[in-house]
Amino acid sequence: MMGGDEKELVSRWLGGDAEAFGALVELYQDRIYSFALRLLKDQSAAEEAAQEAFVKAFRASSTYNPAYPFSSWLFRIAHNACMDALRAGGRNVSIDTEDFPEIPDGAQRPAEAVEESLDEERIEALLASLPPIYSEALLLQYKENMGPAEIARVLGVPEGTVKARLFRGRELIKAKLAPSDATAGCPKP
Amino acid sequence: MNADRNDELIARAIAGLPYRKAPGGFRARVMARIAAEPAPVFDWQAAVLKGMGILVAGWTALLGALSAGFIYRGISGWGELLARPGGFGQALDLAKAGGAHLLGKLPGAVSLASDLGRVAVYAMPPWYEIAAAALVCAAVIKAVPGVRPAAGRI
Repeated sequence: MMGGDEKELVSRWLGGDAEAFGALVELYQDRIYSFALRLLKDQSAAEEAAQEAFVKAFRASSTYNPAYPFSSWLFRIAHNACMDALRAGGRNVSIDTEDFPEIPDGAQRPAEAVEESLDEERIEALLASLPPIYSEALLLQYKENMGPAEIARVLGVPEGTVKARLFRGRELIKAKLAPSDATAGCPKP
Repeated sequence: MNADRNDELIARAIAGLPYRKAPGGFRARVMARIAAEPAPVFDWQAAVLKGMGILVAGWTALLGALSAGFIYRGISGWGELLARPGGFGQALDLAKAGGAHLLGKLPGAVSLASDLGRVAVYAMPPWYEIAAAALVCAAVIKAVPGVRPAAGRI
């Protein structure tokens, strides 16, 4: 949802006011930079991708449809910039074909144990360990409060694919949280 | 139930992550880049050349399809003849007759070709027109495969 100030800034920018776009950069810079940083895991690459996203957004004002939230349009551009950066860095990014990493058959941990182990540092590390297609879907849903339909627009994939990525992402995190020595207590045959 | 609770905890943990601060002067650098990079203008020249390229490719495809039809009909006719009993001898006779027919027409064809050659030499366009045409063709060939990288997409 766009706040009143943001809406006004967007309409001023679409009317040709570059200063209004500067204010939008100020408003979104931390969100876009954080998103890029969590996908690229490199500060300078994240800064470059985030800057690229804002510059492209400024140039592509004619492609923005005010019927949709400004944030999801901006995140779509940022997503493209990050995917380009990942490809440029030689990373294999599955976009057209889904790759499904094996999920270890980990035991379900009690919720209390999961809660204890999910501190900020741990969840950052877990997100960083996921393939980018899963971590970005999780970030967009839980950190940016987007629904599957909005995420689908950002990522340019069908809504069903988004739901599958969210499910796989959560399952991967849960599997990584499962104790590696889950079978340690089992009696040996 | 446990799985739902775990999903909720994961959601809450991700939602609770702080935003990382963008490096100092981020906004100023973005605005400087916007000011420094000229806005891309619509490239009419490339669009016209691409249009010409598409036209040439279309004609080529049409001619290719028509030629393929003729070739297919010729091959299927000869194949049918060869498949008949004693068809090989008949095909050989037909080929000989066709060859003799062509030989009979050869002097006429040579005469026509020499006439056309004389006309071509006489009506040859000046060298600069030929050079301009070659340049246009080269530009079309260069402009047509203008595949944009993902970076060009929004």
